Amino acid sequence: MKRIFLVITTISLVFTSCKKEEVIIEGCTDTGAVNYNTNATNDNGSCKYNLFLNFTHTVDGNLIETDQMIYSNAASQNYSVQTLRYLLSDITLHSANGTSTLLDDVHFITISDPSTFNLDIQDLNSANYTAISFTMGLDSLKNITDNYLNESFFPSFSWPDFMGGGYHYMQLEGDYTTAFQGYATHTGGADGIDFSFTKNFPISLNIANTNTTVIINMEINNWYSNPNIINLTTDGIMDNANKQALLQANGITDVFSVFYPIN
Amino acid sequence: MKKQALLLLCFTLFFACKKDLAPMSGCTDNTAVNYSANAITDDGSCIFFSTTPFIIETPSGFPNMNIPANNPMTVEGVALGEKLFKDPILSRDNTQACINCHQQNFSFSDANQYSTGIDNIQGIRNASALINIGWNTSYNWDGSSLTLEEQAFEPVSNPIEMHNDWKVVESTLNSHADYPNLFKEAFNIDYIDSNYVVMAIAQFERTLISANSKFDKYLRSETQLTASELGGYAIFNSEKGDCFHCHGTQMFMDNLFHNNGLDPEPFTDLGLGKITNNASDNAKFKTPTLRNIEFSAPYMHDGRFSTLEEVVEHYNSGGEYSLTVDPLMKKLGVGLQLTNQEKQDLVAFLKTLTDSDFLEGK
Repeated sequence: MKRIFLVITTISLVFTSCKKEEVIIEGCTDTGAVNYNTNATNDNGSCKYNLFLNFTHTVDGNLIETDQMIYSNAASQNYSVQTLRYLLSDITLHSANGTSTLLDDVHFITISDPSTFNLDIQDLNSANYTAISFTMGLDSLKNITDNYLNESFFPSFSWPDFMGGGYHYMQLEGDYTTAFQGYATHTGGADGIDFSFTKNFPISLNIANTNTTVIINMEINNWYSNPNIINLTTDGIMDNANKQALLQANGITDVFSVFYPIN
Repeated sequence: MKKQALLLLCFTLFFACKKDLAPMSGCTDNTAVNYSANAITDDGSCIFFSTTPFIIETPSGFPNMNIPANNPMTVEGVALGEKLFKDPILSRDNTQACINCHQQNFSFSDANQYSTGIDNIQGIRNASALINIGWNTSYNWDGSSLTLEEQAFEPVSNPIEMHNDWKVVESTLNSHADYPNLFKEAFNIDYIDSNYVVMAIAQFERTLISANSKFDKYLRSETQLTASELGGYAIFNSEKGDCFHCHGTQMFMDNLFHNNGLDPEPFTDLGLGKITNNASDNAKFKTPTLRNIEFSAPYMHDGRFSTLEEVVEHYNSGGEYSLTVDPLMKKLGVGLQLTNQEKQDLVAFLKTLTDSDFLEGK
């Protein structure tokens, strides 16, 4: 009897003492994080969160409908949109402590493939993000012929070396006027001049406990209106540096806007 | 005791018989190609399945070829595919091979507007030229196949083409003197299944690469273009000619579909629209590469134009209006208004894309 008692006592002691040593488990303790660790007892600041970027396209504030002769621009021309493809590059989040996080180097969006409207960023650190920035098109360092041979926008987005080389920034195409003539608002580095531009939007985003969606919207009509009223034309504009400069100025003014959830 | 003696006798007989039928030594590893079920002792003769990789050299200015992971390129597979491509055994009456309508001298296309099948029936489209198709993202003028493997299934069973039955093809190939060994060497299979037939053909088709035309040599500074050819190159890449949007880069195609203003509505051939059931895709057809275009006449999905001059004249005229006509056909009813010299220059440039290596075969 004595012996049995001794054995039990010993086992209990060993067991409980072992358990005591394992009490602290480092990890992410936030149930809303993608790497939430159910066993973690001590949060070590490793929690990661998802951010969803959503690209939307509007004409006069309404989501775009393709192949419909229902739009009118600042020059009072009726038009439709058949094709909308464009590149955004260096999509970056900036945080309060001065660090920046590159979300995507180059992102291709085409209206014919809704899967390109979403950019899912996984494993983002928790931080107070204060701005999001991106470049419309490709800057001169990126915009080099054959730089993106294996991307989905090759070969259709290439820009001939005759006109400076590289890639289109945007192909916005459709018909205009009642005579159903085609227009092609193609932007890019005409004559080798860099017409890309960077937009920086202040935001207040504390990514924690939830999957957050940030919307980047392109308002089509604003490409043609502010400050320069641009007429649609049957003439191609890829070799027209003056037109490219006007479109760039309009693009900088108010083509893009950013929406984010208010905490 | 008597019983035991009888059993012993039986065993002796058994072994004796076996000895007579086959040698007791051989390859005993059942994963080997020459595994012998009768062998008892391994004599080190086992040969294991192996293939020689076929390396695709990516031409300058091309992306990496998209090769399905389950059908890697091998020397054995390509050779088998070439034999199948040229063998009328795939057709029901053993009269027609793939190469009959995809002839090498015509850029692996048919010089006739429409190809004629084994039952003397013609289709409604011109046979596609098979040039650099390993870089295509869909196949047939209407994009109805997404891989070369998938595409190769279709002509064999199509009633207006080879009009065969894949079950018949399989049984013919399996009882053939050579094919079972060739398939064994290429894919390590003992029964020839149709999937392996199209895999071999697709491997061969991926080797039909053209990137050594006069134009390529010009880009490599190995030759000069004439003033007319250079003039055509400039128009091709200008907003005035605007050929490059669909036929740009060194691939000379965009892997997309367009309605290039051939016809007004109503359309007789819906093209992509029939595949997607989307009216906005009606009368859109896949952009072909312009490489070796000099030898892939006639032109357009229905082979309506027999010369490059007619093709250039079509674009110069501006094309016909329809609901789905491409916005890049910007001068509908007005035309590009090219001069005669410019038109000649364009044709001269197009002919610099001829690759005699490709036509003659390496």
